[in-house]
Amino acid sequence: MADRSSLASAAIRLRLFAALREQAGWAERDWPGDPAAGPLTPRTIWMALGLEGSLDSVRVAINQQFASADTPLQPGDELAFLPPISGG
Amino acid sequence: METTPELNLAMPNLAIRLHSERFDPIERLGVWHALLEQRAISTAAESLFIGRVRPSASDDGIALEALELEHYPGMTERQLEALARDCCQRHGVSSCLIEHRIGRVLPNEAIVLVATCADRRGPAQRCCQELLEALKHEAPFWKREWRADGSSRWLSGNTPL
Repeated sequence: MADRSSLASAAIRLRLFAALREQAGWAERDWPGDPAAGPLTPRTIWMALGLEGSLDSVRVAINQQFASADTPLQPGDELAFLPPISGG
Repeated sequence: METTPELNLAMPNLAIRLHSERFDPIERLGVWHALLEQRAISTAAESLFIGRVRPSASDDGIALEALELEHYPGMTERQLEALARDCCQRHGVSSCLIEHRIGRVLPNEAIVLVATCADRRGPAQRCCQELLEALKHEAPFWKREWRADGSSRWLSGNTPL
């Protein structure tokens, strides 16, 4: 049986920001990475989360780098959904 | 409280700093110039941009109480560095400064300072403008307008060029 630390390291760390965070009511959570359930991608997780809006209007970052919504995720990855950027 | 080091030493003349409290862009430019002088870096042509908070909301002009700037700690600094490196390299710019606010920013306070130095005005000006546009669209910052009537709204994009 896997211990708590190995379970935690297998999870995907999810992060939301700004309007997305407030809409969802959370900023960070772990998403279980179950290898038997097939490859996880940002798109499959986005659909499972059931947040309002289209993924087309959201950018994806994996381990703090912009990435495609169809990139296969690895255990321990940090996945962020980023609403439209407005800096400067 | 400062959230990043004074200098990013990965590129000798690239300095990036996030401020969680008010900063004076002219004072920061003075610090930057002193640093370049200490290193005998040429500032023959320098271009700079200072952006400040407007006193009114972007859509209906209602008085603004503050602008809140959220960011993605870690990714923001990495993106700013990557954008600056790429832009400076393409334009042949020798040194670059980016200072950016986070947190609650009041009307007329500085949000962003970008400065670029090169041998000629063309590269300095082009790099400064391009880098500013890049950080507005490619660095993970989000603005929220807090109005004087107590309402607030996350902005979904940038003002037109």
